[in-house]
Amino acid sequence: MSVMSASSEDVFVPRPARIIEATAFTGRERFYRLALDRPLGHRPGQFVMLSVLGIGEAPISISCGPREDNILEMVIREIGSLTQVVAKRVVGDVLGIRGPFGSGFDLNDFRGRDVLFVCGGLGLAPLRSLIQPVLAEREQYGKITIISGCRTPDAELYRDDLRAWSEIEGVEVIRLVDSTAHQPWDGRVGLVTAPIADLDIDPERLTAALCGPPVMYKFVVMALAARGVPADQIFVDLERRMRCGLGKCGHCQINDAYCCVEGPVFRLSDLERLPEAL
Amino acid sequence: MRRAIVTTEAAVLGWMARLSDDVPVHFPRVGPNGGWRFQPVASEDRLSFAGYRPTILPPGKLFAPVDEVLFNFVHLADGSFRASPVYETHPRVLAGVRPCDVRAIGLMDQVNREGTPDPHYLARRGATTLVAYRCAEPCSESCFCGAVGSLDSDEGADLFLTPLPAEDGEAPRVLVEARSDAGETLMEHLDGDPAHDPAALVARYRAARPEPFGRKLPGDPAGLPDALARAERSHVWRDHTERCLSCGTCNLVCPTCYCFDTHDEVDLADPDVGRRCRDWDSCMLNDFAVVADGHDFRRDVAARQAHRVKRKFKYLNDKFEAEAPFCVGCGRCGTQCTVGIDIFDIASDVLREHGGAA
Repeated sequence: MSVMSASSEDVFVPRPARIIEATAFTGRERFYRLALDRPLGHRPGQFVMLSVLGIGEAPISISCGPREDNILEMVIREIGSLTQVVAKRVVGDVLGIRGPFGSGFDLNDFRGRDVLFVCGGLGLAPLRSLIQPVLAEREQYGKITIISGCRTPDAELYRDDLRAWSEIEGVEVIRLVDSTAHQPWDGRVGLVTAPIADLDIDPERLTAALCGPPVMYKFVVMALAARGVPADQIFVDLERRMRCGLGKCGHCQINDAYCCVEGPVFRLSDLERLPEAL
Repeated sequence: MRRAIVTTEAAVLGWMARLSDDVPVHFPRVGPNGGWRFQPVASEDRLSFAGYRPTILPPGKLFAPVDEVLFNFVHLADGSFRASPVYETHPRVLAGVRPCDVRAIGLMDQVNREGTPDPHYLARRGATTLVAYRCAEPCSESCFCGAVGSLDSDEGADLFLTPLPAEDGEAPRVLVEARSDAGETLMEHLDGDPAHDPAALVARYRAARPEPFGRKLPGDPAGLPDALARAERSHVWRDHTERCLSCGTCNLVCPTCYCFDTHDEVDLADPDVGRRCRDWDSCMLNDFAVVADGHDFRRDVAARQAHRVKRKFKYLNDKFEAEAPFCVGCGRCGTQCTVGIDIFDIASDVLREHGGAA
């Protein structure tokens, strides 16, 4: 068996990424800022494969907008064998990164439009990679609405960001919890679908981006359809199990589409041929 | 024109065994406890083409072995790591490969070459010389290579051997055709009579083989992609999964199944040293499409069966613009299935129930 030099780039080999910030958001989600050896060069809505060598690898959404420096931001929920180990890592520790992978969002699909973001739970993390660049060129868009829901007040992510975004002119932020669970809460109570019925929507002008738990999509899509938003103006960011990011391992396949290459962001109207999608 | 010779079967088999003095040669043989498998041969071994049955595992697995090491890693003192990819580039000869498996290897070559190329597969594949052998008769009662168009597949073979119909009292003879430079080089030391008109010899072979060759589908397999599109809510899937154990054997023995998972191994003696390995995976296993929070995107076994069959007859041939299905008709999945579920029967029912005009 011959071993080629480590300098050759192999599609399966991760690059080192050092943790420069790790902040607890909730009991099980932490915000990470990583420094890579060179800029990631990603688009909004793309993802990376995160490694702890010796433990394994898992797909993680990129949570920051495109940037020119070598910084990568992500939110990691402590849920699997890998993320439990990552949760114990501290500033200065090194993780492994492959990517970026996937299609992502194209800002041109949103420019000149009213934009609605519907984020359920951890879905805010990937959508932040789109919200940031949109707000950075605020004048290119019409009215911007961000609906962000989570289970309980103590499960809310990016509280400071949500507050800062709500102070930008022409940006409405609607924060919801399923239940206050007897905790202090200054937002609304209900599901992310509830505000859609009362929003001031011009279906001719609106483009929406959705990301949340699997159960969320169908109901948000129904609520948007009821307001006359056409399917080709709705973008969904889907979650699937992914092992390679290269369109090979098969785990993320939705009918004949490899979610890791053709997705994870899809135009809703393109999902009609993929009955396994929603 | 590439070199083509006619020689005796005994001469070809002896030559292949002797090749193993210089390079590992893998050839189908019966294992110590029964069951055919491709295994390394020794120069004194007496090889035979006779009595061949489909090997338990397809020969193409040589290029994507179980527990394959993708890269080795070392954790460094500064908390970082160094990772070194592993590529196996030892020359090998894979001989006695039947056309259905040649076709499967050709498809896997395409899968691993297109999109993001897989350097690990391509390293092994590039170092291997492929010697194919045409079937004179169906190799099992499960075979249906003739129905799915892989009976004469030769793309990817470096040497192609055709058994010639025996004349009275004559020793069995074989047409040996080089299909590549590597094939020419390999047959340098194989003597025989030059074949001036190999096509005529192949025609004689074809005329002598049974027709139909193996099982025949109850309709044109070219209609399967459309029939499958119409079979979205068919009872066929439930009918063919009532007994399914979701064991994944059908995937593991399939020459065109390439889904995988990865896992890490760490040296017990030195936990700073380890490797990332690739394992075969199966879309029939019940956790194949489960995500971290436990949601299963293909929970129903009938949905998994539909997915497996659509990959073989629709999704992958569409994706790779292949003329024929990814199912090459080797019959392995049906033979090895613990409860006798056969993709041939499923495809037959789909054609019967959902075939016909679009």
